[in-house]
Amino acid sequence: MPIDFKVVTPYGVGYEDEVEKVTIPTTTGAITVHETHAPLISILEPGEMNIHKLDGSVVNLAVTGGFLEVRSQSRVYIMADTAERAEEIDIEQAQRAIERAQELLKQQDQLADIDFAKLQAQIEREMARISVGKKYRNAK
Amino acid sequence: MAVSAKAIKTRIKSVKNTKKITKAMEMVSAAKMRRSVDAALATRMYANLCLELLHHLSHIDEPNVAFLQKRPVQNILLIPITSNRGLCGSFNSNVIKQAGRFLADKQNIAAFRDKDGEEILPEGDVKVDILGVGKKSALIAKRNNLDLVAVFDKLSEKPSYDDILPITQMITEGFIEKKYDKIALIYTHFESTLKQTVKVRQLLPVSESEIRKMIDQLPHAVQEVEKKEEDFFPIENYLFEPTMEEILEMVLPRLIEVQLFEAVLESAASEHSARMMAMKNASEAAGEMIDSLTLTFNKARQAAITQEISEIAGGAAALE
Repeated sequence: MPIDFKVVTPYGVGYEDEVEKVTIPTTTGAITVHETHAPLISILEPGEMNIHKLDGSVVNLAVTGGFLEVRSQSRVYIMADTAERAEEIDIEQAQRAIERAQELLKQQDQLADIDFAKLQAQIEREMARISVGKKYRNAK
Repeated sequence: MAVSAKAIKTRIKSVKNTKKITKAMEMVSAAKMRRSVDAALATRMYANLCLELLHHLSHIDEPNVAFLQKRPVQNILLIPITSNRGLCGSFNSNVIKQAGRFLADKQNIAAFRDKDGEEILPEGDVKVDILGVGKKSALIAKRNNLDLVAVFDKLSEKPSYDDILPITQMITEGFIEKKYDKIALIYTHFESTLKQTVKVRQLLPVSESEIRKMIDQLPHAVQEVEKKEEDFFPIENYLFEPTMEEILEMVLPRLIEVQLFEAVLESAASEHSARMMAMKNASEAAGEMIDSLTLTFNKARQAAITQEISEIAGGAAALE
C-alpha cells in the first residue's frame, strides 16, 4: 500500500504523489514514515525532506516550517509554509537574503522582539534552503 | 423636432462615454480576477487539509487550551469581509444582508451545545462588535448601531499571508483575554465567476460541530478528500510529537490564520468576479441603450426631413 503523500503550502500544492517512504524533518528530529504509520501530528522544522518514490528515485524538497499530519491508511499530509525542489533553489539569492537579514539584525539593536524573531527565523529558513540546494548540486 | 434630435445626440454621446468606462473597468477586473482566482484556488487544498486537521483536533477535550474553551456567550466579534471599492454588483450588499440576518438571530447564534448535547443559552443580552475588513464593512456597524473595533482596509489586491497576521493577532488576543466569547467570520465563497455565496464561519472557539458543518458545505473538491475519512481515527490514539500541549499551542493559532487567509482570498476572488460581471452587464446595457437611442435619433431626423419637405411642398403649392 503506497503512501498517499501531499505537500501543500498557502500558495499552492508543492508535491503530490504516491510514494514508498518519506523522511521529514521535525522539531523532535528527522522521522521516516513508511506505509501504515500510526496517525501522528507533529511540527516541521526548516530542513530537507527526502521523498522515496515507488520507482526507487528520490526527490529532495526544502521545507521551511509548518506542521504535518499522518492519517490512518497511509496518508501523509505536510502543511508547510514553503516547499521547494532542491534543483529549483537559487543558492545565491538565499545567501543574499541571509546577509540582508544579518545586517538588519546588526543595525538595529532596538528591534522589537517580534521583528527579531522573524529575522532569526528567516535566517534559519534560508540556511535550510541553502544546505538542501548545495547537497543536490554536489551530487550532480 | 430638430431640438429633440440634438438632445438625443448628446444623450448618445454620454452613454457612449459611460460604456467606454465600464468596458475599461471590465478589462481591468478580468485581469485582476484571473490573478485572485488563481491565488484562491491555489490555497484551497492547503486550507482544506488544515480545516480537516482542525476538525480532528477539535475532538480533543482539553478545557485548559484557550482556543477550545467554550464559555457562555456575552460578547461576539463579527468579522465581515467586504471590498474597499464599490461598483461590484451585489457583492457588498450580500455580505451586509447576511450580517443583518446574523444580527437578527444573535441570541440563537450565541447559544451552543456542550459536549453532552445540552444547549447552553447566553446569559442576558448579547453584544456584538464589528471588526471590518474592507472599507464597506463600516456600513454594517453604522446601520446596525454597533461598535466598530477596527477596519482593515489596507489589504492589497493580492493579499499575502503576512497581511492578515495583525487581524488574527487582534482576534486571538480578544478571545484569550475573554473580551469576546465567540468570533465569527462572514465572507464570500468563490464558486465560479457567475456564482458566489456568502458564508458564515465560526473561528473561535474551535467547535467540532461547526467545522463539521463547514466541511459538509464545501464543494466537491474537498469531499473527495473527506470521503475517505468515514472511518475516522479517534484523536485519542493519535501520536503527538513533541507533546499535545505544544502541538495545540503552535498549530491552533496557525489554523485560525489559515482560515482567515483563505476567507480573504476567496472574498477577493469573488469581489473581482462580481465586479467583472457587473461591468460586463453595464457595458451590454449601455450598448443596447445606444442602439435604441440611435433608432429614436434616426426617426426624429427622418421626421424632421419629412416635415421640411412637406413644408416646402406646401409652400410651393401655395405659390401656384
